[in-house]
Amino acid sequence: MTAVLQIVFDALSLGSLYALGALGIALIFGVMRLVNFAHGDFIAFCVFAMLWPSINAAAIVFAGNLPFYLLIPLLLLVGAALSVLSEIIVFRRFRLANPATMMIASFALGFVIRHLLLMFYSSRPKSITLWPSLGLPVELFGARIPMLQVVTIVITLAVLAALTLFLKRTRYGLEMRAAAENFTMARMLGVRANGVILLAFAISGMLAAAIGLILATNSGTADIGMGANVMLIAFIATVIGGLGSVPGAVAAGFLIGAASVVFQATLPHDARVFRDAFVYGAVIVVLLVRPQGLFAPKSTRQRV
Amino acid sequence: MTLLAVDDITVRYGRLTAVRGITLKVAEGEILFVTGPNGAGKSTLLNAIAGVVPPVAGAITLDGAAVTGVPPESIARRGFSLVPEGRNVFGALTVEENLKVGAGMRADRHKIADDLESVYREFPMLAERRHTAAGMLSGGQQQMLVIGRALMTSPRLMAIDEPSLGLAPKIIDQVYEILMQLRAQRKLTLLIVEQSSTRAMMTGGRMILMRGGRIVLEGKAGDMIKDERLRQAYFGFGDH
Amino acid sequence: MSQRPSVLRRTIVTPLVLIVVLLAIAALTYQFGSRAFNRTVVEMFINIMVVAGLYVFVGNSGLLSFGHISFMCLGAYMTAWLTIPPVMKSITLKGLPAWLLHAQLPMWVATPISGVFAALFALIVGRVIMRLSGIAASIATFGLLGVVNNVYSNWDSVTGGQGSIVGIPPATNVWIGWLGTAVAIAIAYLYSISRSGLALRATRDEAVAAGASGIDIVRERLTAFVVSAFIIGLAGALYAHFLSIVNPGAFYLRTTFITLSMLVVGGMSSLTGAVSGVVVISALIELFRNLEKGVALGGLTLALPNGVQEIAIGIITIVILMYLPTGLARNREFSWRGWPLEQRLRRPVQTALKELN
Repeated sequence: MTAVLQIVFDALSLGSLYALGALGIALIFGVMRLVNFAHGDFIAFCVFAMLWPSINAAAIVFAGNLPFYLLIPLLLLVGAALSVLSEIIVFRRFRLANPATMMIASFALGFVIRHLLLMFYSSRPKSITLWPSLGLPVELFGARIPMLQVVTIVITLAVLAALTLFLKRTRYGLEMRAAAENFTMARMLGVRANGVILLAFAISGMLAAAIGLILATNSGTADIGMGANVMLIAFIATVIGGLGSVPGAVAAGFLIGAASVVFQATLPHDARVFRDAFVYGAVIVVLLVRPQGLFAPKSTRQRV
Repeated sequence: MTLLAVDDITVRYGRLTAVRGITLKVAEGEILFVTGPNGAGKSTLLNAIAGVVPPVAGAITLDGAAVTGVPPESIARRGFSLVPEGRNVFGALTVEENLKVGAGMRADRHKIADDLESVYREFPMLAERRHTAAGMLSGGQQQMLVIGRALMTSPRLMAIDEPSLGLAPKIIDQVYEILMQLRAQRKLTLLIVEQSSTRAMMTGGRMILMRGGRIVLEGKAGDMIKDERLRQAYFGFGDH
Repeated sequence: MSQRPSVLRRTIVTPLVLIVVLLAIAALTYQFGSRAFNRTVVEMFINIMVVAGLYVFVGNSGLLSFGHISFMCLGAYMTAWLTIPPVMKSITLKGLPAWLLHAQLPMWVATPISGVFAALFALIVGRVIMRLSGIAASIATFGLLGVVNNVYSNWDSVTGGQGSIVGIPPATNVWIGWLGTAVAIAIAYLYSISRSGLALRATRDEAVAAGASGIDIVRERLTAFVVSAFIIGLAGALYAHFLSIVNPGAFYLRTTFITLSMLVVGGMSSLTGAVSGVVVISALIELFRNLEKGVALGGLTLALPNGVQEIAIGIITIVILMYLPTGLARNREFSWRGWPLEQRLRRPVQTALKELN
């Protein structure tokens, strides 16, 4: 029983990370049809924002020393600011470009950010201790679950709830949903294009910061490529969930997390390679059966 | 007074010129029909006024203010609302949510609830389905929805592109009936693109006939119907 | 089809000119270039192969691929497995199947086999990816890159994991490099004037009409994917024989971005564009590499900080995309009279990506 519970929490917390990542991608894709390949580097940037630039292996933490009630809002702000700046400086010029151009532009942006980080911090992973107490296990129904996992799950659920409320109950949320369906029509009804897009980027940036915080606390290191692993799966999740469906992306994130953990638990104690291979295999099966994704939005097949 | 003045505009899509040298005026409270065969540039004209496609030449003035090249969301805020061709409802949103989208930008927030109620009174079938997803409505209901949605922006001038497209005649009658009621009640100025010149004649008001991106004929709807040139414009005999 | 010979005649100038120019570069480099410069030119030739392969898929289908470097990885490692002396393999790569462990083939044989290996892999994964809608397919190729990198970085017993495998016989010099580019350009050219290439370009520009004309979009995309994988696999093999070592890190994000950038800067939809993009970016990389090493001015040495190279290329790519979205070549091919197809399409609409999602 305790083993099952541990698996459940593992699945939920891993799935949460993937869901948050997929959500960040899906939000921007919804309003702009842009796939933000720089998202993984946004995540890394937020983590490194806590450190003074150096090439040492021991991080010289500066902002990371702040108490949590200052650090978290600060980092969320950093994430939102980076994201918003990216939109204003780079993506805005590509509003009317074709999707291939936009994708390369976002890929290029990620490349630039990554190498900027490399230049200032070198490729050596740095150790960074954030909230060591979160590593301690908590007793839940007889199982010992790392506190961080619980926190991750709670935060993700809170974020999802808040975002749902925002989208369904507020004026700006309504405008975002309308813009995601038909951007031009929304504009003709007075919805400000720039406003909606900036909002999507800001929220996405905050999500990146959140993921960064969780990853840094979990692994105790700051590493240039730390966002890449999560985002690889997050991208796959958006495709499996159905491009254009925000709930689909989130659901797919949880699904892949669950599959990953289940495979890990049921396969023999072998190299990680095989667990990953099974997950990818499952992804391929899903795509073979439903290339449009599990929860593809019903709308728009191009009318001839 | 002139609510809308279009002055010699030319609109291009890439290398294709869709509208050439169009000049027209719409006075407050009147109905102006824009008719003409397919590809005449009628929708482009409306899109240009709405700010979706900026003209490459010429000027557009709305209520005295120059709006050439102004983005659509600003033009909507100045009291112009376009209902484009094709009933573009936000399918995943409910009827009520669709209606509320346009209300967001309004300054007079306290009147929004009242306006919503009056739209529901004017379109009872929408009131019955206020929490249904808009994608589930029939064609006629969707047409009502998009008109109601445009009304929620509290426009002074409403432009509708092909309100009768794809609808049964009886439904079209209903749509026009409601439009005329609205015009009377809300003092709405209407600019309607309508392929059926008969419908235009039945409704009255002024009419312009477009062909090949230009205005080839204008006058009162009733008079123009009898004009031989109208038939020529549609069937292509004679002038270009 | 009486049309066929004249298309060949009208357009064969392009690949011929490109190949001859590159031959001249190879000859000059061999004759006058320093050892270091020779190595730079070989790298450039290999990049030309990769970007030519990229063009075969991206240029003709309008779909962006982030996963092509995984084919390079596959090709490189396969030739490593086939050419490293069995003695060394049995120490470092114990997990290899027996027939592979004992194999030792000459580079001439191993290289094409590696290309085929990559192509077969593309055939299998392509079946899945090509059924996805445009943007989803591009994301899936990104996933492919990550997956291949993941597997090769972790399957220690077979790939040596994240470390490098050594012992690959060095064989690639400027002549072999040039030969590689000639082969790549020839295949790319032949594909693009073939029926499949033409059909694919039709889907790129008018997806609905193409479908209505009976073109099987999935099959045509898959064909291009496999052909491009072959070329890129070949390039990977030559690269392995150039460096003598391989590690997965060389086939991941940096290389993906640099090659994409070369394609984009030169022009996605033309072979001439692809090749010119490589030359331009390679020159820039060389320039920055030297600037990073330091330029002696008077008594001082001015050096740019390390890493400026990549940042500069990234920024340049973004800027080019903003102002010259069709790249430097602007969809034109080098020829006296212009490619019949490319000429008409000044700005291909790329509706393949404007489908749902």
